[in-house]
Amino acid sequence: MAKDPVCGKDIDEEEARQQTGQTRFGAAEVDPQKGTRRFHNGTWFYFCGLECRSKFMASPDSFIGAGSS
Amino acid sequence: MDFAFTPEQEQLRQEVRDFIAENVTDSVRAEVEDAMDEGHGEEYMKLRAKIAERGWIGISFPKEYGGQDGSRIDQYIVEEELARVGVNVGLSGSGGPAILAAGTEEQKQYFIPRLIRGEVTFALGFTEPQAGADLAGLQTRAVRDGDDYIINGQKMYTSSAHYATHIYMMARTDPDAPKHKGISIFLFPMDTPGVTVRPLWTIQNDPPAPMGTTYGMGRTNETFFEDVRVPASSMLGEENMGWYVGAMGLNLDRVGASRYLISVRRDEDIVNWVKENEFDGHSPSEDPEVRDRIAEMWIEAQVCRLMTLRSMSIVEHGGNFTYEGSAEKVWAPEHGVRTTEGISQILGPYAQLLNGSIGAVEDGVFAHNLMGSFQSGINHGSVQVMRDQVARRGLGMPRG
Ligand SMILES: Cc1cc2nc3c(=O)[nH]c(=O)nc-3n(C[C@H](O)[C@H](O)[C@H](O)COP(=O)(O)OP(=O)(O)OC[C@H]3O[C@@H](n4cnc5c(N)ncnc54)[C@H](O)[C@@H]3O)c2cc1C
Repeated sequence: MAKDPVCGKDIDEEEARQQTGQTRFGAAEVDPQKGTRRFHNGTWFYFCGLECRSKFMASPDSFIGAGSS
Repeated sequence: MDFAFTPEQEQLRQEVRDFIAENVTDSVRAEVEDAMDEGHGEEYMKLRAKIAERGWIGISFPKEYGGQDGSRIDQYIVEEELARVGVNVGLSGSGGPAILAAGTEEQKQYFIPRLIRGEVTFALGFTEPQAGADLAGLQTRAVRDGDDYIINGQKMYTSSAHYATHIYMMARTDPDAPKHKGISIFLFPMDTPGVTVRPLWTIQNDPPAPMGTTYGMGRTNETFFEDVRVPASSMLGEENMGWYVGAMGLNLDRVGASRYLISVRRDEDIVNWVKENEFDGHSPSEDPEVRDRIAEMWIEAQVCRLMTLRSMSIVEHGGNFTYEGSAEKVWAPEHGVRTTEGISQILGPYAQLLNGSIGAVEDGVFAHNLMGSFQSGINHGSVQVMRDQVARRGLGMPRG
């Protein structure tokens, strides 16, 4: 389990990554409604949704330390 | 300096027009234009094979890689005619020119013939959530592990990732180097384990853009790379030289008829529309204000075409292609915006009606183009970034 570094919610990484389809040439597709993630300074962070991700991206340093990857 | 085409070139243009009249039916066009969102279908591949049989794809590429060793101007003529009906056979925008310039022999042998045959298509994985105009700030990492690299990171607006066979992407290979100097380019299949695609829907998604919309892209994507293992041989150019290879590739990718035509097909459409329609017994083409406005747009469109031909000519003669592609990438999209706005003034409120609405002109194509025209000023290098390149490369100003 990861923590959303913005709101602190528990995030199931597997669910955020869960494959819901496949592109025409075989890449996994995921559901845009599910939680999302962001690769920042060499680490993956997970979010409950786009709102938290956008807040994080606007000011990552103010959230790092509050959550885990 | 000779602006005229030779009799042979005029003959080639006529041959392409005859071919189109015979082979590009409305059903083929509909499928070809759907390809913008769904990739190539069967009809398109058949048409493409017929075009390839005539030796019209990759004309300027070397014969040893499936091209014709022909002239870029011939290629331009074929591209211009086919792009007008929505069929893009130019390999500008394909990644081909960069592979030819910087690829290993193995990469050239593998990719170029397949790009020409349409069996390989690349999604461009450059932009990231916080690296767009400032692309060199990208965070995706590629770490060497024996004969492989392991890639982690995220890309935004990977437009054709949902139907491309391969990705052409940038990753940081040296996080300690100055930001332009630690980047490399990788080419690998989309079905490599660890690649995940997630849709992003654009303003053209609903209702879907009708046939003839030049910027009808309804879907782009976010693409995630999580512990994606690729062989070191998938690197294009030398390690940490990706910034320069990528910039050169983007610059070469801008040379071609299709980019110019994206912006000026609308001018051609409105000219046809005003000539073909009558209201209360009068054609809009008789109205002095309409004529004046359209003539003005048309003059601008010719500037786009001349800029494109100049770029083609410089590359054809092996000249130093520095700021010209960037200048074109400012003029053409901004002309496209001015044109769609002008058309919307000519058509009045009907110009606002989208596909499927009662009263929409030509299924809403002008309205969809009005929305879409703004995309072209952002993607493939925004107009602000392009102006900066003109200032630096064309006018010798320092980096801003
Ligand atoms: C429909 C669409 C399709 C795309 N397809 C692809 C694709 O297939 N692959 C890919 O890699 N990318 C793609 N892109 C991404 C595109 O290249 C970027 O959107 C573009 O580079 C701008 O980056 P950004 O969106 O992060 O904007 P930002 O970098 O946040 O810039 C926002 C605005 O500010 C301007 N600006 C930024 N810095 C400066 C400055 N220093 N001086 C003056 N103005 C500045 C920019 O020009 C822009 O207008 C696509 C974009 C769109 C809209």
